[in-house]
Amino acid sequence: MTAKVLTANRLTDGIAVWLDAAGNWSEDLQSALVARHAEAVASIEEIGKRDFAANKVVDLAVIDVQDVDGRIWPVRVRERIRAAGPTIAYAPGYKIADPDFIAS
Amino acid sequence: MYRYDEFDRDFVNARVEEFRDQVARRMSGELADDAFKPLRLMNGVYLQLHAYMLRVAIPYGTMNSRQVRMLAHIARRYDRGYGHFTTRQNIQFNWPALSDIPDILAELATVEMHAIQTSGNCIRNVTSDQFAGAAIDEVADPRPYAEILRQWSTVHPEFSFLPRKFKIAITGAEHDRAAIQFHDIGLHLKKNDKGELGFGFYIGGGQGRTPFVAKKIHDFVPEADLLAYTTAVLRVYNLYGRRDNKYKARIKILVHETGVEELTRQIDEEFARLKGGELTLPEADIKAIAEYFKAPVFLERPEGWESLARWKKADEGFARWVERNVHPHKNPDYASITISLKPIGGIPGDATDAQMDAVADIAEEYGFDEVRVTHEQNLVLPHVALADLEPVYRALTAAGLATANAGFITDIIACPGLDYCALANARSIPLSQEISTRFGSPERQAEIGDLKIKISGCINACGHHHAGHIGLLGVEKKGTELYQITLGGSADEHSSIGEIIGRGFEPEKVTDAIETLIETYLGLRLKPEETFLEAYRRVGPKPFKDALYGASPAEAA
Amino acid sequence: MTRIWTEKGGFAANDPYVIETEERQAGEGEIALLPLEDFLTKAAESNDANLAVVLKPADDVRRLEPFIGRIALVAVTFPAFNDGRGFSQAVWLREKVGFTGSLRAVGDVLLDLIPHMLRTGFDSLAITNPVAIARLEAGNLPGIAEHYQPSVKPAAAGAAYSWRRRG
Repeated sequence: MTAKVLTANRLTDGIAVWLDAAGNWSEDLQSALVARHAEAVASIEEIGKRDFAANKVVDLAVIDVQDVDGRIWPVRVRERIRAAGPTIAYAPGYKIADPDFIAS
Repeated sequence: MYRYDEFDRDFVNARVEEFRDQVARRMSGELADDAFKPLRLMNGVYLQLHAYMLRVAIPYGTMNSRQVRMLAHIARRYDRGYGHFTTRQNIQFNWPALSDIPDILAELATVEMHAIQTSGNCIRNVTSDQFAGAAIDEVADPRPYAEILRQWSTVHPEFSFLPRKFKIAITGAEHDRAAIQFHDIGLHLKKNDKGELGFGFYIGGGQGRTPFVAKKIHDFVPEADLLAYTTAVLRVYNLYGRRDNKYKARIKILVHETGVEELTRQIDEEFARLKGGELTLPEADIKAIAEYFKAPVFLERPEGWESLARWKKADEGFARWVERNVHPHKNPDYASITISLKPIGGIPGDATDAQMDAVADIAEEYGFDEVRVTHEQNLVLPHVALADLEPVYRALTAAGLATANAGFITDIIACPGLDYCALANARSIPLSQEISTRFGSPERQAEIGDLKIKISGCINACGHHHAGHIGLLGVEKKGTELYQITLGGSADEHSSIGEIIGRGFEPEKVTDAIETLIETYLGLRLKPEETFLEAYRRVGPKPFKDALYGASPAEAA
Repeated sequence: MTRIWTEKGGFAANDPYVIETEERQAGEGEIALLPLEDFLTKAAESNDANLAVVLKPADDVRRLEPFIGRIALVAVTFPAFNDGRGFSQAVWLREKVGFTGSLRAVGDVLLDLIPHMLRTGFDSLAITNPVAIARLEAGNLPGIAEHYQPSVKPAAAGAAYSWRRRG
């Protein structure tokens, strides 16, 4: 089974977040709790549903990840961009996404 | 331009409070997420990859300096210091918090702006010619009618839950700068033999998954019947448009599946019932709205002719900018100016808060306080005296807004793409930056001439790639990005949908492919004045396909 | 629990109309809300008046025209809050078919749709959503008083232009 993490967007500000081991929603993908078997996936899905019902997060998704050089690396480029931010210098003071992380 | 009266102010303030209440109910859970979604969409609030996105309406692309400054303020205070001007003459902010949006809307309301119906399955921003009221070829200013349609379509109780979004565009000139034939309703404002005003009425245009050029269903709908006829179209669409499949729900599909004659018959039948009734536009109302759009008083500034010649001789950069970005005006002492939001290698359509403030200052001092947004993601100062062109150029240059590339290969339209958009399959912006950089020298751009490249990051075609002379469509293949090339699209009065010319290209190969297409064009054009589009329409796709993919075996033999 | 609300009378008890199912049939003093085909059959086969019909979004309201004087109530279905066909059906019932009886919205009737329903000619709403019920009981209707277009429900002229209304 491919490893998974749970992601969503915060209701108040829409910022992309990932469920961490403490059950909190972190803005850093690398803090995410990685589910490696079916029971773990079911468990994080339950937490997701609970937090959606509690009006904390919206747009929940369980996404595929791999372990690459000790980092959590989402399989889809879309999710890598979600994690790293836009791949362009869109505003001063905001870092452009790491091209090595984004690359397939 | 239109100014709110008390009725408008009461309305927009009530609307802000209504949305504030809806947000509060959503936060508390009183309002379920799926019930909240269409309500937030009708206030321009999307959820994207990284954050919410707020799309603020710029009705028919017209703003004054006070409004531009407010947009700069919103960018600074609530966002990350910039905004993006869109292919429907609106502006998008990419990082607002939902919890701030009621306050943002309240601030916008103080300068007569809003985000009403910029998303959702309802009637969207009515767009128009960016040179309306100034263009030398204009028969009549389309904006009063755009304003009437804007008002009438606002919170329409019958048409707020259509099968899908509904987009209307209107041109007042034969040369269509508003892309009316790619809209659900396209209106061509013109005069009949008696000199009366009315509309060539088109329906069923659109891009997206299944592009269609609109069909003209009436050559002349008198101006008094505009609302009644539009109501008939919307009612038939609302009742019979498909609701089973999101990708088959626009009116273009209804036209295609019902047949244009039969659908027109149904619309005409409903119109016959409405004609002469309470939706008839009284001449007095049209005149009253048109008053808001009358041209400013243009002082004679004949000294501009001599100054312009002198400046052009002295400064090659200025001369190039005048050649490209300055357009003829009804009044010979004046011109309209394209403010390029396409710096070489930059992000198309984006402007920082500082740039917005600069535009506001320039418009206020030199531009009769008016700014326009084009559907090609640029800005326009519609009225500038020739005698003021040089100081305007200096001010724009200082703000990084004087790239002399209007309509050139580097004046690329690109949707936000996978860098921002939850619907995207591929990125658009980095590709546009690479292409812009590769062809960025003024000499190369001038050599290539008029060329519209349009890039969409998914099949929804918000980058209007179907209407690009060269169109690029990003797709996802086996987890990676791939780009399909289309050729020969156009969104003017001779509208056409671009043709796919072969298998797609990996991101690192696209710019070279464009290079090949350009070299092919330069090699086969009859003369420098023959544009890429003209050459393509003359020779067809074959020379370009052969150049990209190699001649087919039959010919090689 | 579904409750019936009218703008004039608020929540009513003793609503006689019943959408019949296997479990529930119209009883003494009750009126069955018939689906369109069943209604057309009954209307053709009898001289009954005070009939009631429930329309689905794809039903053609014009088929009621021959029997319009014999219908006491038309119920229009909003199956999902984003299916807006019911609004156009209501407009046609009032304006094209000339229906003057009671026009009721049934289905997913949510608070934020109520202003649109009232303007397009509905006088009666069947409400299940608890938040909507609570707000209506409190007399706290959503909606903006300024309207930019005429609709079925008569309203006072709005300032300045012929298309505006207030109310």
